[in-house]
Amino acid sequence: MPDLRAEILGEIRRVLSAELEVTEPVELHHELARDLRVDSMGAIVLAVALEDRFLVKLSDEDATGVVSVGDLVDLVERRSREARVEGAPESAHGRGAQ
Amino acid sequence: MKGPPLPPPRHRTVNEALAAAAATRSGITFVDLHERETFVPFREIHARARRTAAALRQAGVSAGDRVALVFPTSPAFLDGYFGTLLAGAVPVPLYPPFRLGRLPEYHAATARMIDAAGASLVLADARTRKLLGQAIERSRPRLGCRSLEDLSVEADGELHAAVDPEALGLIQFSSGSTTDPKPVALSHAALMAQLSALKALLPPEDRFPQRGVSWLPLYHDMGLIGCLLLAVYYPGPLVLIPPEHFLARPALWLRAIARHRATLSVSPTFGYAICSKRARDEDLEGLDLSSWSLAVCGAEPISIATLRGFAQRFGRFGFDASALRPVYGLAEASLAVTFAPPGQPRAIGVDPARLAATGEVVEGARAIVSVGTPVAGSELEVRGTNGENVPERTVGRIFTRGPSVMVGYFGRPEATADTIADGWLDTGDLGFVADGELYVCGREKDLVIIRGANHVAHEFEECLDGVEGVRAACSVALGFVPDGEDGEELLVLAERARDANRSDGDAGTAELIRQAILEHTGIRPHTVVMLEPGTLPRTSSGKLRRSEALRLFLAGQLTPPRSAGPARLSVELARSALAFAKVKLGRGR
Repeated sequence: MPDLRAEILGEIRRVLSAELEVTEPVELHHELARDLRVDSMGAIVLAVALEDRFLVKLSDEDATGVVSVGDLVDLVERRSREARVEGAPESAHGRGAQ
Repeated sequence: MKGPPLPPPRHRTVNEALAAAAATRSGITFVDLHERETFVPFREIHARARRTAAALRQAGVSAGDRVALVFPTSPAFLDGYFGTLLAGAVPVPLYPPFRLGRLPEYHAATARMIDAAGASLVLADARTRKLLGQAIERSRPRLGCRSLEDLSVEADGELHAAVDPEALGLIQFSSGSTTDPKPVALSHAALMAQLSALKALLPPEDRFPQRGVSWLPLYHDMGLIGCLLLAVYYPGPLVLIPPEHFLARPALWLRAIARHRATLSVSPTFGYAICSKRARDEDLEGLDLSSWSLAVCGAEPISIATLRGFAQRFGRFGFDASALRPVYGLAEASLAVTFAPPGQPRAIGVDPARLAATGEVVEGARAIVSVGTPVAGSELEVRGTNGENVPERTVGRIFTRGPSVMVGYFGRPEATADTIADGWLDTGDLGFVADGELYVCGREKDLVIIRGANHVAHEFEECLDGVEGVRAACSVALGFVPDGEDGEELLVLAERARDANRSDGDAGTAELIRQAILEHTGIRPHTVVMLEPGTLPRTSSGKLRRSEALRLFLAGQLTPPRSAGPARLSVELARSALAFAKVKLGRGR
């Protein structure tokens, strides 16, 4: 589903420019920390926005492998497919509750 | 300086305060990203805590045991936190892993904190528990790690242990992730004294009942004691927003204040700055902030420009600038030490170079905000290097004494003795008194405070091990407030390696430093300065002197050591020969 990837990349670009003051163009090979200077607060803002938009949960162990924008797109795509397979996508407001 | 006498606390322990709150109809409301609300009355919080306490006891938790708690802002936090207290045990709230966070660093820091508090059990929400494996493996708490679901919480099993007021009621960590976390141990009595002092600052409750809103994390003193426990003690309603949701959508905070007609809300400077910068106009339409009569600001250096900017932007929504109240405090004193008086925040302009160079307060361009006078029951002294009280408008080290000062660092008698002497707590902060009010202008402890979170300087410095072009173990990380910034930022002063290739200047090395620190800590250095080897001030034993380095940097006096090159040597030789000759001449006269 290439549309989903494009949509995820679009959301990442939107958050980076609208919320995190990243002015340069954002491409898949860009590293979040090195090239786009996303700090720990930026990572949280990005993650919450993606979780909310794609109804996924990102506080998972494999998030440590996320270095580039492409890695993040992969992760969100994978989580999103898993949620669909399970047939019960977690509601965005379930976060934080027990 | 001395605060007013402390009104006798209305309860002796947190457990008693919760039982009293449970008799009211008030409670805690949780707000999510889409502003859906869940109200949990204190009555229910108390009942759930009693059942959790019984289950904890059954799981092997004894009175006095420490229980580490790793929960997001959620009803589950309340179950774990109050359940631990009602079991007669000591809660140790720890921060949960951040999304897209750096898990290896998180595991290491969490394991150290579990160790330092000697926790016998780690209680976490089911999701977080899955991520804690490594931290648990390293720290090996006696009873392991459980989620609330794993505990056999039963409807008929209840426990409400009576605890001694002198027993520990909380262990909190004063610094975020560090290599050497210091567990601040607070008794129930200290917590009650702090809450009584805070309550004394609020308007009379019968005429102006208080309603609170907070987005602050519950593993941090300001959110836990200043918001949650104050709501229980008062007792009154409190609305909680998970901090990550606030960061993602800052308008949530202001909208919750307006919706609930809240009177009281607290934030570090950066929370106010983020709202001015990132809250969108379309999210603020029709907002009425006129109920907000206490907008407390603390936990990091306070920027008057940020507060004024906030008041200006939100004035048209009914926000009153005189609601802003700067405060000063630290985890070791439970929370607050001083509180600004009512009225608009006051700042005085001082000359930063003179302040750094001589400790004198003379008029100049750096605005420093008054944090007011001691809270009820607290005393404060500003002392010089020999321990003497310094006069007004002279910089010294801030000491405080009072009933909400910690028992000590848990299990660390030496560290405690270094910090508390004769009941006086050495805050490690620098400040001065002007017209009877305290101004905090720096610190001597090795802390950097970024967005309200404390970081030990060493955390940043160790990231530079092995960075090419940097002299090994010859860098210092410091917090400073750059001109025109909202709050404290990270400054790195690094000496070049002696064999550093400087053909392309220092820009490349400085960039490597920025990357290394950002990658390891998630914090972006504001300024990186490369120095000649030997420039940083050291003690006689060769240890780097951080606060002295900052003082020299701010005073513009950070200069390389005198070069001992051939030219310099010949000049020195000539001088000494001349001096020698003079002496001879003198003698011969």
